[in-house]
Amino acid sequence: MKKHIIGTSLACAGLLTATAACSGSDSGSKSDGPVTVTVMTWESAQTNAAIDKALAGFKDDKITVKRVDTPSGGYGDKLASLTQAKKLPDLFWCGNDTEQQYTAQGLTVDWAKRITDGDGDFKAGNFVGSAMENWKTGDGQMGGLPSLMNTYGIWYSVDAFKAAGIPEPKAGWTWDEMYSAASKLANKGGAKYGLVADNLTSADAPFSMSMYSVSAGGAPFTDNVNHPTKAEADDKYVEGVTKLAAAIKSGSVAPPGYDASNVQALFSAGKVPMMVGGQWLAAGFQTDKPKIKYGFAPFPQVNTPTTLYDSVGICTPKYTANEDATYKVLQYLNTKVWDAVLPASPVAPPAYTPAQASYFDALTKAGQTTVVDTVKADLSAEKTVGVRFTTTWASQVADLTTAWYQPILSGKKPISDLQTYVGKINDLIKSAG
Amino acid sequence: MNRSRVGMSRSAGSDTRAAYLFILPPIIGFSVFVAYPLVRSFYLALTKYNGLTDPVFVGLDNFRRLFTVDPAFWPSLKATGYLVVLYVPLSLGLGLALAMFCNQRFAGVRIVRTLAYLPVVLPAIATITLWKFILNPQVGLANTILAKLHLPTSSWLQSPSMSMPSIVIVMLWGVGGTMIIFLAALQAVPTELYEAAKVDGAGPYSVFFRITLPMISPIMLLQVILQTTAALQTFNQPKILTGGGPGFSTNVLMLSIYNNGFSNLGRIPQLGYASAQVWVLFILIIAVIALTAKFSSLWTYSDNTPD
Amino acid sequence: MTTLPTDPSTEAPLALAGALDEPVRRPKKRRPLGTASWYATALFICAVMVVPLLWMIAIGLKSRTAVFEVPPKLLPHEFHWGNFIKGPQAIHFPRLLLNSTIITALSVLGGVMTAMMAGYALARLRFPGRKMWFYLFVGSMLLPGVVGLIPLFQLYKSIGWYDTWLPLIVPAFFGGNPLFIFLARQYFLAIPYSIDEAAKIDGAGHFRIFTSVMLPLTKPAWITMAILAFQASWNDFLNPLVYLYSSDKWPLSVGMASFISPFAGQTPDWSYYMATNLLYMLPPLILFFAAQRYFIQGLGSLGSTTQK
Repeated sequence: MKKHIIGTSLACAGLLTATAACSGSDSGSKSDGPVTVTVMTWESAQTNAAIDKALAGFKDDKITVKRVDTPSGGYGDKLASLTQAKKLPDLFWCGNDTEQQYTAQGLTVDWAKRITDGDGDFKAGNFVGSAMENWKTGDGQMGGLPSLMNTYGIWYSVDAFKAAGIPEPKAGWTWDEMYSAASKLANKGGAKYGLVADNLTSADAPFSMSMYSVSAGGAPFTDNVNHPTKAEADDKYVEGVTKLAAAIKSGSVAPPGYDASNVQALFSAGKVPMMVGGQWLAAGFQTDKPKIKYGFAPFPQVNTPTTLYDSVGICTPKYTANEDATYKVLQYLNTKVWDAVLPASPVAPPAYTPAQASYFDALTKAGQTTVVDTVKADLSAEKTVGVRFTTTWASQVADLTTAWYQPILSGKKPISDLQTYVGKINDLIKSAG
Repeated sequence: MNRSRVGMSRSAGSDTRAAYLFILPPIIGFSVFVAYPLVRSFYLALTKYNGLTDPVFVGLDNFRRLFTVDPAFWPSLKATGYLVVLYVPLSLGLGLALAMFCNQRFAGVRIVRTLAYLPVVLPAIATITLWKFILNPQVGLANTILAKLHLPTSSWLQSPSMSMPSIVIVMLWGVGGTMIIFLAALQAVPTELYEAAKVDGAGPYSVFFRITLPMISPIMLLQVILQTTAALQTFNQPKILTGGGPGFSTNVLMLSIYNNGFSNLGRIPQLGYASAQVWVLFILIIAVIALTAKFSSLWTYSDNTPD
Repeated sequence: MTTLPTDPSTEAPLALAGALDEPVRRPKKRRPLGTASWYATALFICAVMVVPLLWMIAIGLKSRTAVFEVPPKLLPHEFHWGNFIKGPQAIHFPRLLLNSTIITALSVLGGVMTAMMAGYALARLRFPGRKMWFYLFVGSMLLPGVVGLIPLFQLYKSIGWYDTWLPLIVPAFFGGNPLFIFLARQYFLAIPYSIDEAAKIDGAGHFRIFTSVMLPLTKPAWITMAILAFQASWNDFLNPLVYLYSSDKWPLSVGMASFISPFAGQTPDWSYYMATNLLYMLPPLILFFAAQRYFIQGLGSLGSTTQK
């Protein structure tokens, strides 16, 4: 074994200097023979095990489904290298932004026609409408299909709210109520901050703040995360930022830079009384029962209920060996696999609405009724705002956010600099055409 | 480096053939793994390239964007400089102190030396992740111990002012690497010099500044160069510990290059732009080495110069 | 420069070679510090180095929720030995251990072999271009590792090395770590030339001199190099992550990253991680303790071979 490897490597390297190729073991694929469809997820080991079990139920004489492992801690790096090497699996988990960028580069297969004309139940009309809309590119292509919806809200410790004598958050509560609760909860019972709000302070923060301005009847931060024509910070938006910056200054809300990677465990241990987070944390609470009583409330509002829109999905590279086979497996993933996975691990409501029942059933059975209510409310919220730009220059916006927006929140730059920040983003939008 | 070349080889022809046979692998390696990427990345620095479609030549546009538009570039240069200024003197100072400490004769000195070197042996990924948890403000070991001793605690990696010092603390846990080199240098100082100084009645401070430091100055020079170039290329610690944050406080050049060129979850890479950054880093390193070498004659001691 | 950047601390020992030209003598008794203060300091140093590792084991023994207890407890009150089984199981530890072992063994072999040969030629043979090649090799160690990352990835991919171990192993056989060449050359310079002359009179060629005279004489040098090469390959995370697609080819370093969660707010399983981390650290630890006679002391006394 070892000798063989040395031999091969030396031979290859020798040839290399003569710029000859030393081909690896590429597996070719035929279009009519048996096909292997590969699937790559970013899920945890437990969820992957459940997916494997469900995939075993996929029966087709000519199609074998194989899930390829990837370390979830390095999914981004992995995806980048697979893309460069043109070895992307037939079906890989992807964010809305990845789907938009990859499709714009012509890297993905276009499913738009198949899903619009879909036969049976598996058709566009059975998906959450906003998700379908957001997964389309400017020219109507779909490089992947949304699979799971991510909704956001406020996780709160019932115990901490009781101890502080404040009413628990519920649908319709206001931003002012949230900040006032945070200030009462801070520095109590081993908690440092009253509210940890990663979504409001991270690189995506400027987009989340649209919830405030839109709810108050103002304009969102950007008109469209996929095809923006402008960014803006109107009076209502500035008001929202001012309130948050004040709350951070007073020490009741965790500042930008707070490491959110362990926040779920700290919340369970009672050290974080209130946190902004996704519904997917519910699955973790199923396995590690928190010591505290907790609940999940929708985002606060000013006038109208407004929430974040986000979804993840499954993409397919243009060079997939057999489109029909891949689509069959994709359909199976979206329709059947969730029914098997979600009862054990209720991470998210499927974008394919007929599959949502199993998600809500699982949560109801586990007694997580506030999660059911909030997720349902979020999915039907009349006003949603996108979580981040999905454009190819989005990473430059993230840099601008770090340079301007976060210092504004931490009080290191004046609120008036918001307009400079917005101006720079508008320059980017213009130069990108 | 005074070497004797008594009876250097007679048969030059056969030597040349044998020598080139012996160094053929690194010559091939140098051409393929060093020269080629260097030339290629210089070309890429002048292009717009995403690794998927062919590079498009754009001249100095990447550099223009770097120096005038990119909000992350100057902060990342600043972070890199801060890291070097903080880490290199501390690493050299602590390393030398530790080496002098371990150069004494006490029972158990070998254990101290071995343990001081131990962190260097462990996988970087493993120790850095361990330290990330140690520095966790709520449940980490660092704050637990500090609180028990009634000392002020810190939010370490999560505080914009403490994040870089925290990274340097994690790097200094591996100071055994610097120590071991100084130890070798200290052991090479002729003992007669110390004996003579003793006879002259010199105190420990004057022994240190008049004998020890001058005698190890060539090693010190080498250490300054190596540690500085390595510090300029620090990557693992900020990548794992902070991801460059909070803000740009630990977004060193290497991390910025990596993010633009390779990572950035599901985003189209900007390989040409990253290559331009690589060249900025490269020129920085060359400048540091040139400057250090130029001024080294001011403070290094040498009895004779190598060829 | 084909290896990705490592932190300064792990690269530093190689710089030792500069000290090797100086003769080494054992230090005489010098005690500027009082005995009590010496031992107090020694104890402090040992604690700083060891306590984090003990704490790692303590975390590895806790249940996943106990890790986040408030206020944190230094020692576990329940011992979850099962973490040392379940943690490794979660990443298919035995398989990855085998992969790591093969990759590391071959890189060590290649790195040491090439460096010793090149060091021998650069130090003991006279040939045109000797200085030029030496400076080119050594100079290349000052290049930022990322220079190679982008072009080499494209190169490997175009010659079909993607998803093979070749990008992780082959560079070692071609002088992938120029520091080793530097180290080897310095070491060979310190060996008296009369030895070559004697061997030549006996009719030995360069290859025989190298294998049967020089290699035994330079044992501490190549053991030191082997340990450093082992560390570099065992620790390497980014190269295998970037080049290896199939999980059955991963080394341990990549497997360790499976514990980290990609989702905001979702806490990784720290007790499994720390338990597995200990197992991941064990091979380099064992190797280090087994060879430390050559390594720590050998490093310090490398130059003394001049007197042998």
